[in-house]
Amino acid sequence: MIQLSGLSKTFGTQQVLKEIDLTVDKGEVVVILGPSGSGKTTMLRCINYLERPDAGEVRIGHLAVQGKHPSRRDIHQLRQRTAMVFQQYNLFKHRTALENVMEGLTVVQRIPRSEAREISARMLEKVGLGSKLDHYPGQLSGGQQQRVGIARALALNPEVILFDEPTSALDPELVGEVLEVIRRIAREGITMIVVTHEMGFARDVANRVVFMDGGVIVEEGQPEEIFQRPREERTRQFLQRIMPEPNYSI
Amino acid sequence: MNLDPSFIWTAGLSLLQALPETLWITFVSVAAGLVIGTAVALCRMYHIPVLSQLSAGYVAFVRGTPMLMHLLLIYFGLPVLIDGISSAMGWSFTSASIPLIGFVWIAFSITAGAYMSEVVRAGIQAVDKGQVEAAQSIGMTTIQTLRRIILPQALSVSLPNLSNSVIGMLHGSTLAYTISVVEINAQAQIVAADNWKYFEAYIAAAILFWVLTILIERISGWLEYRLNAYQRGGAL
Repeated sequence: MIQLSGLSKTFGTQQVLKEIDLTVDKGEVVVILGPSGSGKTTMLRCINYLERPDAGEVRIGHLAVQGKHPSRRDIHQLRQRTAMVFQQYNLFKHRTALENVMEGLTVVQRIPRSEAREISARMLEKVGLGSKLDHYPGQLSGGQQQRVGIARALALNPEVILFDEPTSALDPELVGEVLEVIRRIAREGITMIVVTHEMGFARDVANRVVFMDGGVIVEEGQPEEIFQRPREERTRQFLQRIMPEPNYSI
Repeated sequence: MNLDPSFIWTAGLSLLQALPETLWITFVSVAAGLVIGTAVALCRMYHIPVLSQLSAGYVAFVRGTPMLMHLLLIYFGLPVLIDGISSAMGWSFTSASIPLIGFVWIAFSITAGAYMSEVVRAGIQAVDKGQVEAAQSIGMTTIQTLRRIILPQALSVSLPNLSNSVIGMLHGSTLAYTISVVEINAQAQIVAADNWKYFEAYIAAAILFWVLTILIERISGWLEYRLNAYQRGGAL
C-alpha cells in the first residue's frame, strides 16, 4: 500500500502541491488527471523523491520517508521499491535495449548476469520487442523506446510503477502500441499510478481516477463517476475542454 | 643557405632515441591529468565544501600561468619542500634521488589536470538530466550513476576535446628540455649543435611531432567511432 500524507512542495513563490493526501491499494491502477500546472507530475515525482517535497510523508508498506531531508538510505530504499516510466523515455543511450533492462537487475538488485539476461529478455518479449534486444535506443522508434522503458520498470518487480505521461512525447500513431502494453500489465495486478491525458485509457484501465487542479486533489472516484457524474465544477470544466464530444450514449 | 636534406634523415634517426622520453611525458601527464581533472570537475560540480573552492583556485591558477612556469616552480620549489619535510622528520630521503623526469611528470600532470577538468566538466554537463533521473529511479546510488551512466556518456562526448588536450601535452612536453630532460626537442638541439646543422635537425623534429600528432588524431577518431556506436541510427 502506498500512502501520501500532507505532501507539499513550493517552487519559488508558487506552491504546486498543497498538503496532498492519497492512498493507493495494492494492485490498484490509479490515473491522475488535471490541467497542466496542476501538480500531478510533481506529485508523482515526489513518490520516488526525484522531487523532494518540502513537507509530508511518503509511505510504501512499512517504509516511511519524511520531509525535505530524509536519510540517503531511506531515499535509496524508496527507489528500490518503485520504478518510473518517463515522458521522454530516458533510456540509457549507451546501452542496448537488453542492457537497459538488465542494468537495474545486475547493479541494484545484484542478480547474476545470466539470470538477469533471461528475465530481461522475457520482459522485452512481453512488451513485443523480443527481436530488438541488441538495438540501441537511437535505433528504435519512440513507441519502441517507451516499451523498453516499461520493460525496464517491470523487470525490477517494484511495488508500484509510476507512469509520467508515458505517451505525451509520442507520435499519434505510436500511442496505441504503448497504451496496449500498459493495459496488458495493468490486468496482471501490478500497482500503477499513471499521469496521462489519454481519457479513453483512463476510462477502461483505471480502478480510480484522481482529478487534480491548483496543487490539490479536487475529487477522486471510479472512472464512471468522474467521467459521467463529476461532483465538482472544476472537474466538469476540465473534462469538457478535453473531451468536447457529448458524454452520453444513445 | 645550404640545406643538407640527407641530414634531416640522419637527425631523424637520432631523434628516435628520445622518442620514449617524449611519449612517457605525454602519457603520464595525460593519464594523471585525466584522473585529477575528473576529481576536480566532480568536486566543483557537486559543490563539495572546501574541496570545491580549492579546486576552483587550482584551475584558475594553473590556467592563468604558462606551462613552463609550472615546470620551473615544481623544479625549484619541490626540492625545498621535500628536503625540508625530510630533514624535519629525520628521513634519509632527499630530493636529489628524484629523477629529472619525475619533476616533469609532476608539473605537467598538474597542468593537464586543470585543463582536463574543464573538458570533463563540459562533458558531464552535456549528459541529459533524464539519464541521471532514470538511473536514480531504478535505485542506483550516486557513485553507480556516475560510473555506469554519466562518465561513459561524458567520455564519448569529450573525446574530441580530450584529443586536443593530448596533442597540447605532446607539444608542451618539449618544454622539458629547460630542465635538461632529453626529449625529442632537446635531442634535436644536441644533434644540431654537434653537426652545426640546426635547420635540418629541427625540420626532422617537426616532422616527427607531426607524425605523432596524426597518430593521436587517428586513434582518437577510431575511439570516437567505437564509443559513439550507440549514437548512430539505423539498423545494426
